[in-house]
Amino acid sequence: MGGLWRPACRRVTFYGWRWSHPGSPTRVAERVEPCLSTGRSGTGSAERGLRRLGTWRRPNPAPDLAVQPPRRPKSTNPFTRAQEDDWRRRNKTVLTYVAAAAVGMLGASYAAVPLYRLYCQTTGLGGSAVAGHASDQIENMVPVKDRIIKVTFNADVHASLQWNFRPQQTEIYVVPGETALAFYKAKNPTDKPVIGISTYNVVPFEAGQYFNKIQCFCFEEQRLNPQEEVDMPVFFYIDPEFAEDPRMVNVDLITLSYTFFEAKEGQQLPVPGYN
Amino acid sequence: MSTAMNFGSKSFQPRPPDKGSFPLDHFGECKSFKEKFMKCLRDNKFENALCRKESKAYLECRMERQLMAQEPLEKLGFGDLIDGKPEAKTNS
Repeated sequence: MGGLWRPACRRVTFYGWRWSHPGSPTRVAERVEPCLSTGRSGTGSAERGLRRLGTWRRPNPAPDLAVQPPRRPKSTNPFTRAQEDDWRRRNKTVLTYVAAAAVGMLGASYAAVPLYRLYCQTTGLGGSAVAGHASDQIENMVPVKDRIIKVTFNADVHASLQWNFRPQQTEIYVVPGETALAFYKAKNPTDKPVIGISTYNVVPFEAGQYFNKIQCFCFEEQRLNPQEEVDMPVFFYIDPEFAEDPRMVNVDLITLSYTFFEAKEGQQLPVPGYN
Repeated sequence: MSTAMNFGSKSFQPRPPDKGSFPLDHFGECKSFKEKFMKCLRDNKFENALCRKESKAYLECRMERQLMAQEPLEKLGFGDLIDGKPEAKTNS
């Protein structure tokens, strides 16, 4: 029996589509009802299909069915076709959202560069982007007199350099915000002029970002003539903000360590640290 | 040398000095000032705050002999010593 009324169903719905206008969905529903009432695919899906047909307002199929729609639906059954169209519509919405999110991410990645720079300037992370380290800061800084810090000095020489390099004081007591002077001494005991270049290190590592050198003898080639001995000063201060950093509460000892290397032509200074 | 071998931690970045490098005092022109400063430090148990006049004198010697760029003393943190006597402690 199923085969008999099936074509009738199709014919009915065919008519229904042809005569439907945007304003008269109910006629379509009425015409379709006889084939629906036989319970072909279960009442639930039938009702859904009915509801979909009732709200289906596409003007496209009404006037001309001779023209094929651009995308041929997979089935000719109105209910599954409606469902497919609904899926297609939903897919398009989802696709639009995903495309918008992708474009948004691309824009965010471009915006990240100036935003990160701004963030680094405000927080000064890693000591690499520090704002306000100018001479006017030195002018205006106020020493924090209740926080005494002991600065010890260390001097090292690379194995190939034959200088006698040592600090002239073992330690010095400073407070943050106060400029201090310290001396190292270097002697060239050989008979040839030697050029050395130095670098420094500060321990503990986190205190290093507060240790500011106004002037010293590092990173530039220093030439010592044979048997010459010179005094090498270091003029530095500890940033007053050191006293306000909670991580530095237990730091009372800072060690400044200088290392001299021999400078040869075209040699790159091996900067300590792992970059 | 920085011995932080863990990848998570930041490595030490040595920073160049603000005003560059001191030229070497090959002729020992300011050696007497330096000796005065070192004697002051040894006498005062290496407290920097008590020897600031001597360090200021040393830097002035350097500036006079072109061993250091001329710089107003306030910018070197000696603002309170310019008049010749240290200011009374305003902050504790």
